[in-house]
Amino acid sequence: MDIQNYISSGKLELFVLGDLNETEQQEVLSMARKYPEIQEELKAIEAAMFAFDKASGKKPSAEVKDRIFSSLEASLPAQESPDRPGRPESVEKEVKLYPGANPWKPFAVAASLTAVLAIAAAAYFAYSYFDAEERYAVALEQNAILADDARSNQVRFDELDQSMERLLSGNFERIPMKGEGLPMQEDALVDVFWDKESSEVLLSVNQLADLDENSDYQLWAIGADGPVGIGLVNPSERLNLQHMQAAGAAQAFAITIEPRGGSESPTLEKLVVLGEVS
Amino acid sequence: MIQGLRARDRQVQEYLYEKYSGALFGIICRIIYDADLAEEVFHDAFLKINQKIDSYDPAKGRLYTWMANICRNSAIDKTRSKEFSKSSKTNTIDDYVYAMESGSDTAAAVDGIGVRELMEDLNEEQRFIMECIYFKGYTHTEVAEKYNIPLGTVKSRVRSAINVLKKKADII
Repeated sequence: MDIQNYISSGKLELFVLGDLNETEQQEVLSMARKYPEIQEELKAIEAAMFAFDKASGKKPSAEVKDRIFSSLEASLPAQESPDRPGRPESVEKEVKLYPGANPWKPFAVAASLTAVLAIAAAAYFAYSYFDAEERYAVALEQNAILADDARSNQVRFDELDQSMERLLSGNFERIPMKGEGLPMQEDALVDVFWDKESSEVLLSVNQLADLDENSDYQLWAIGADGPVGIGLVNPSERLNLQHMQAAGAAQAFAITIEPRGGSESPTLEKLVVLGEVS
Repeated sequence: MIQGLRARDRQVQEYLYEKYSGALFGIICRIIYDADLAEEVFHDAFLKINQKIDSYDPAKGRLYTWMANICRNSAIDKTRSKEFSKSSKTNTIDDYVYAMESGSDTAAAVDGIGVRELMEDLNEEQRFIMECIYFKGYTHTEVAEKYNIPLGTVKSRVRSAINVLKKKADII
């Protein structure tokens, strides 16, 4: 390495002028450490520049000095440039120069991250809550419907139980009544269950056409004294025991179509089914 | 002195100001022609020096060089900021000399010889290079590119110009 060449390259001058990049600066510094001549040259250039600046420069006004020292004093406790009216851009500049110097910055970042996460969590849980609320309401409603069903089933079960008990405990005779050979309903089929001892009469519709609202089916017990009306038959309640009025004596049972509410005596032209007691 | 600055000792700060403010302010004035703006930049740069003193490494050169670079960079940053009008960047030695001589402050005259005298021994090429680098804040690579001068030539002219100034400094 020709030191004289290095010195005359102009690099040292640029170093003093701050016009070298980091790598070149490191190079000049290590050269200066190695070679006292370079060190001497650097010192001479620095001295020359200072002398030149000093000779050519002038002192700033006293007002600037006052401002600087009041700024320095104000910055003492906080170690930071304070906010002074009238010089906002200088404060702004200081802040920009030391962005990492604010010790609260990581906390602020952490706090805002936490806030964002908390908001997301809150939204999620709120959604979950309303969803659960809704499903709970639906479940309650379904539960009420099921309870209603259970109640009505219980009622029907009790009815059936009573009918069964009555049927089993009594001495009932089954009298099938048919529409065969009669002009009204060929396929009509109704069973009467009659306990001669207790006079109790039950009825089960197997097949019977629906009527208009101005007419009713009426059951008759035909004995020695002629036909006696023992109640109205509900045609829609199929294969279910209907409790009729008592019949003491009868050779046959029959159903006719009567005006709504039933009649005193049967309208024989509208005889639907007939069954004789065997 | 550096320890005093690091301890934020007011007396040491005053001493620093008295010793260097003229030279440092001179650097800024060469780049920023407007006196008010130059004082504002000097204010900010001097505060910056006191704040950054902890990062100053004496192994990397003398304190004055370090401070001079802070001032020069502050001034150059200012000329490159939006608020700085383009016309102000056309500073030349003559503008500067005129500004210094016409200034109401007579301190410059008392302090010593003027820039004109310092510069009069430079030849045309050396003057031009000093104007670009020292007055307008261009880097040597910018000068080389802009005026199509080989990089080595720019460097050697910087060196010869400072050599002339060095001899002057010896006389002072």
